[in-house]
Amino acid sequence: MTTEAARRRAFFQITLLSLAFLVLVVIAVASFYWLQKAREDSAWVAHTLEVQNQISLAQLQMRRAESAERGYVLLRQEDFAQECIEASEQVLPLLDKLKGLVADNSVQRPLIDEVLQRSESRLGLFKRVIDLARQDRTDDARALIRDSGGRESMARIRDMMDQMRTEEERLFRYRTSEADRSQSLATIVTTIGSAVVLLLAGMSIFLVRTSAKARDVAEAQLRENNLNLESTVETRTADLREANEEIQRFAYIVSHDLRSPLVNIMGFTSELEELRGDIFRRIATLSREVADKQNAQNADSDGEAELEAPDKQLSEDFTEALGFIKSSIGKMDRLISAILNLTREGRREFQPVPIDTRELIENIVSTVAHQAAEAEAQIRIEPLPEIVSDRLALEQIFSNLIDNALKYLRHGVPGDITIRGRQKLGFVIFEIADNGRGIDPKDHQRIFDLFRRAGTQDRPGQGIGLAHVRALVRRLGGTMSVSSALGQGSTFTITLPARWSGAKGNSRV
Amino acid sequence: MSQPVTIIMIEDDEGHARLIERNIRRSGVNNEIIPFTSGTAALNYLFGDDGQATHNKHRALLVLLDLNLPDASGIDILRKIKENDHLKTTPVVVLTTTDDAHEIKRCYELGCNVYITKPVNYESFANAIRQLGLFFSVIQVPEAST
Repeated sequence: MTTEAARRRAFFQITLLSLAFLVLVVIAVASFYWLQKAREDSAWVAHTLEVQNQISLAQLQMRRAESAERGYVLLRQEDFAQECIEASEQVLPLLDKLKGLVADNSVQRPLIDEVLQRSESRLGLFKRVIDLARQDRTDDARALIRDSGGRESMARIRDMMDQMRTEEERLFRYRTSEADRSQSLATIVTTIGSAVVLLLAGMSIFLVRTSAKARDVAEAQLRENNLNLESTVETRTADLREANEEIQRFAYIVSHDLRSPLVNIMGFTSELEELRGDIFRRIATLSREVADKQNAQNADSDGEAELEAPDKQLSEDFTEALGFIKSSIGKMDRLISAILNLTREGRREFQPVPIDTRELIENIVSTVAHQAAEAEAQIRIEPLPEIVSDRLALEQIFSNLIDNALKYLRHGVPGDITIRGRQKLGFVIFEIADNGRGIDPKDHQRIFDLFRRAGTQDRPGQGIGLAHVRALVRRLGGTMSVSSALGQGSTFTITLPARWSGAKGNSRV
Repeated sequence: MSQPVTIIMIEDDEGHARLIERNIRRSGVNNEIIPFTSGTAALNYLFGDDGQATHNKHRALLVLLDLNLPDASGIDILRKIKENDHLKTTPVVVLTTTDDAHEIKRCYELGCNVYITKPVNYESFANAIRQLGLFFSVIQVPEAST
């Protein structure tokens, strides 16, 4: 799985989850709204019902008052009169309440006002009829009932109340349907929302499972890669070790086998040299005999046979050629010896021991005291930290560097060589500084290569010292560097672990 | 000495063999030198057909041995000579290019009498061989025990 795909997948997941959350919020808000709406609608429906109820109640009380009035007039029983007054008293509060209820309805308001008005007059009429009847003016009361248009008034009130009821019925139907609509809308919104949420949840679950699977696969791959890497590293390390040992064996064998023919070359060159002596002595003797024969008369020469000029030249050429051969052989032998020593060093097992660095360096300095005196050089040792490392290796490192510092001083300038040391983060840093001829920066890398040297080649050496030192420093788990410029002296810096355990170095890798 | 010492020279490099022989002669040693260029041939000569060296029982021998032989390890030859009842008193001079301290120690442990490194410097080489010649002239090679 590429990182691009992974990023896209993550982005998609987040988008999906946000979307689901958004939908949830919308659904919640919508549901709330529609439920609220439904409740309000229901309240309105109830309101309508109450209005109707109120109308019916008022009408009922009106009818009761009317029928009680008639009853009283007909039968003159006091309880009819009581009932009439009681009913009449209830009508107005009912109508007032009704008025309050329909105050928001413009259709109902004029109707109720008229109903109120008519009811009041009608109720007043009831009262007068009852009063007349009580004063035993039954006929007047009957006439009042008959002539006052009470029936028309009642009919009118009924009509208007019917109108109001019709209006309320209309409102009831409208509000019921409204409430139904709100409820069904709320239901629909909730249902659809739930479905969408479920769908999104399903997709999320699917995605999460997919990515979990992908992660498991990646984890397994990673584990496998780790294992592979470890075994690869192990294999490579073993290969490197083998290669290294092979190289050392090779160097060892080659240097031995090179030495064998060199012994012959040198041996027979020396033999040739002796032969040369024999040959030229013979030539000298022969030519002298010839000369003697030719000049028999003045044969007064004696002693050692002398070569004639051309023969002498030949002899000298011969000597020169042999000299080159011999010096080359000597050089080759030294190189071979150096390689041998290096391989021998490479085979040596290092032993980490605590070392008093100052004492070690003082010992080295005392062995080069003679050279230092010759070069008019002083060697200063500053306080040095102690270290746990291989003693012999450290001795070789420091004696090589001090040797070099003494070897490459500037002519006519008294040498000043300083050895400094300090501790830093589990490492010990040594500096060997001189005021010698210095090293051109372009040669800084070269001087650490085997058989390579820099600067004026006026000193004996094979170009092995620094290569050897660096190899030792590396085997001790350290690094080394040089800072120098021509004519400015050189400072070699060696960084070594303060407590070298020897675990890595002895693997010879 | 009841009989002259025979020098057995086991050296695969003919040049070296020649140089050694020449320098031995220069030092005035005229003993018979039998050269071998391979370890196998030398072992055959020393140990004979029965492999017990019975025919060399009463001979006075001196072995010049090179360690780097193509067909056998000089160390093995040295060990065989020193383990054989008839040959173990024979002086063995190891003459080789190897100057490894380890190798030298091993040779002495196995009973080698003299170990000489072939120096490339011819003067030293010639010198060493001549001194060896002097050594030959003074050593008493014991008669092989019966």
